[in-house]
Amino acid sequence: MSILYDEGQQAIATESRRVLEARVSKEELLPLLETSGRYHEGYWTTAKEQGWTALALPEAYSGLDLGLVELGLIAHQAGRSLSGAPFLTSNFGAAKAIELYGTEDQKAKWLPGLASGETIGAVAFASGANALPARPALTLTGERLDGVMTGVSAGLAADIAVVFANGPGMPVLAVAELADVKRTAIASFDNSRLYADLEFADTPAETLVTGGAAREAALHILALQAVITAHEQAGGAEAMMEIARDYAVTRRAFGQPIGAFQSIKHRIAEIYGLVELARANCIHAASREGQSDFITAAAAARISATEAYDTASRDCVQIHGGIGVTWELGLHLHTRRARSLAIEQGNLLFWEDVLVDRLTGEAA
Amino acid sequence: MSDLEAYRAKAAAWLESMVPTYGKAARKGLSEADDLALARKYQKAKFDAGYAGINWPTEFGGQGKGHLEKVTFDTEEMKHGFPSFYFGISLGMPIPVLMQFGEDKAWVKERVLKALQGEEIWCQLFSEPAGGSDLAGLRTKAEPDGNGWKINGQKVWTSWAHYSDYGVIVVRTDPNVPKHKGLTYFWVDMKAPGVTVRPIKLVGGDSHVNEVFFDDVKIGDDHRMSPVGGGFAVAIATLMIERYVATDSAGFGPHLDLFVELAKDTELNGKPAIEDGRIRQQIARNYAMRSGLQSITARAMAMMQAGMTPGPEGSLNKLVAVRSRQKLSELAIDLQGSDGFTYDDHASQKEDWTSSWINAPTGRIAGGSDETLLNTIAEKILGLPQDHRPDKGVPFNQIPA
Ligand SMILES: Cc1cc2nc3c(=O)[nH]c(=O)nc-3n(C[C@H](O)[C@H](O)[C@H](O)COP(=O)(O)OP(=O)(O)OC[C@H]3O[C@@H](n4cnc5c(N)ncnc54)[C@H](O)[C@@H]3O)c2cc1C
Repeated sequence: MSILYDEGQQAIATESRRVLEARVSKEELLPLLETSGRYHEGYWTTAKEQGWTALALPEAYSGLDLGLVELGLIAHQAGRSLSGAPFLTSNFGAAKAIELYGTEDQKAKWLPGLASGETIGAVAFASGANALPARPALTLTGERLDGVMTGVSAGLAADIAVVFANGPGMPVLAVAELADVKRTAIASFDNSRLYADLEFADTPAETLVTGGAAREAALHILALQAVITAHEQAGGAEAMMEIARDYAVTRRAFGQPIGAFQSIKHRIAEIYGLVELARANCIHAASREGQSDFITAAAAARISATEAYDTASRDCVQIHGGIGVTWELGLHLHTRRARSLAIEQGNLLFWEDVLVDRLTGEAA
Repeated sequence: MSDLEAYRAKAAAWLESMVPTYGKAARKGLSEADDLALARKYQKAKFDAGYAGINWPTEFGGQGKGHLEKVTFDTEEMKHGFPSFYFGISLGMPIPVLMQFGEDKAWVKERVLKALQGEEIWCQLFSEPAGGSDLAGLRTKAEPDGNGWKINGQKVWTSWAHYSDYGVIVVRTDPNVPKHKGLTYFWVDMKAPGVTVRPIKLVGGDSHVNEVFFDDVKIGDDHRMSPVGGGFAVAIATLMIERYVATDSAGFGPHLDLFVELAKDTELNGKPAIEDGRIRQQIARNYAMRSGLQSITARAMAMMQAGMTPGPEGSLNKLVAVRSRQKLSELAIDLQGSDGFTYDDHASQKEDWTSSWINAPTGRIAGGSDETLLNTIAEKILGLPQDHRPDKGVPFNQIPA
């Protein structure tokens, strides 16, 4: 896969940006923060209508047969407009797990629904700081799952979840139906991500992979999701950079635009550096799907995108002075999203470990 | 035991006795109105016990003690989560300025006593939409009106204006002279006709700052606290008033111990996170930063006790501590991973990492942004040249907007 976007890919970027800018507004996003359990329904409808849910899935299962690069382009625009209900990443991760590791029956059963967006998927691997814990929180016995998963992104609305669990003596990757799972919405600082604690009790589940391959498979799914999330982070960081830049040329203090002060000017230039490094890493990672260095590339994308988004949102607020910390202006929507994306799909510590493991051949 | 140590022990014991009624636990779950009511009672209790206006002159109802006693008390007080912040601005700046510059001493004394007992609150009306860091860029104007003045314009970011009885205000009285020269300093009655207070909701969800609109607000010339056109000097005096306040090297966020506990309780790669090199490095660096600030403060106290003047390094506190609080809070959230999404908007910034993180930006802006603090250090302490200032010497009404 090339690292230069072709015309078709550029059209995806332009079109998704246009659509998102027309349909997602800050005015709709702010109220979502005030209670848990709601999400941007318009965005999800748009994602389905536009075929984004089907984009990176095989044609045989109602997909569009495009890949990580195209989905990444959309995620970048979603990040810019802060649109993301969590589903695009979570659906994609769940679908990829089934596509890559499921049986024909499992694929036929789940993929068309995930592609159309009628079925919502979640990926639930993490235990606290451990994105892929040595001792998973769930246990699979026969075809039944038990245990509690905390802080599952999209967990409140998902129909199925791909989980990483303890199987008989070894880890497994499995897909569980959530209809009868007890869910508790989490009151979060980013309340549109549908974070929930899920209580599995004798919940039906089907195995996808077991043993050592299950861990590898889970890491691969996380990496795929991480690349999409990194695009979203890079998009958010880019938006913060532009907002900061626009403010710096209009806001005046001491008889000049604040952008004339080096403390402001250099900061925005530094953000530019971070954003471009993140973007380059994202493009590279998306183009390495299926190659042996994919995980390494995904980790690099994730690390630089997390740094870019956290820094850009921190600095953008600072550059705005007092107005930056108001509820109304909504810069905090980005600040919040920067943090929630930073811990979804594995925190910085996790990806740093993955990267160094790969580079040195030694586990932490 | 030195006199100061004896003072500290006595204050600590008194504060301890107040905890059940006014401490953190007692305030839990209170509405802001109820919390303020409790705060007023606490302030009165402090007054009655001789702990209000500790370093203020006795002629105004203060205790006539030294600055050290004041800081010592504040340091002890900070430990318990008492509701004292409603009076932070009021007793921190406007009232001391009133004592220094107010003309009618009987009236001043009455105000000071009421403020010290928590009955009246004062706010500071400096910042405006077009004048925050650039304090002399103010546009709210006062025009002569009979024997007094008439104020029109808008202030912004006025902390606690919605609870305030009075405020100190800087306004433009002459737009035809360079910007610093056309300002005058007054006090205003916040309940006067024409004053409208509108709360601003902040990122963390609370609304303790306000926009304040002045619409033909009439005040007498006896409200004036500076010569006409001499307001900037008094404004600067206001900002300089308490150079050494009780500082908090945690940047008013959680103590480092809480981070250490979190790192001990969190598992990373099958081991306690406290064993992870990256976490240990952050703890070490944070500790070094905090201990440096504490030592600066301790040395300043010792110098003051010895009758010397502390160095300007005290100004580093807010700059260094809040930035590092912001980053440490981010790391604390990271460290909780998928358990880190939770947010309780009533949680205390000093005990909850998420609350600390979401509110940290205000600390880097309010009371002088990082950038202006760095400018001050560079120019005033290190003697570096001033930025190019195209507005210098230009009459205010000729500065391009
Ligand atoms: C929670 C809170 C409470 C407050 N309470 C009060 C109060 O009670 N009373 C009151 O009067 N005010 C209050 N303020 C206002 C506060 O003092 C101002 O917000 C602050 O001084 C910054 O001004 P500004 O918001 O206009 O930002 P601006 O001055 O517009 O600054 C925008 C950006 O430009 C930068 N900048 C500006 N000038 C320079 C320069 N020369 N060199 C380099 N960078 C520069 C700033 O650092 C900032 O990053 C409060 C603010 C907050 C957030």
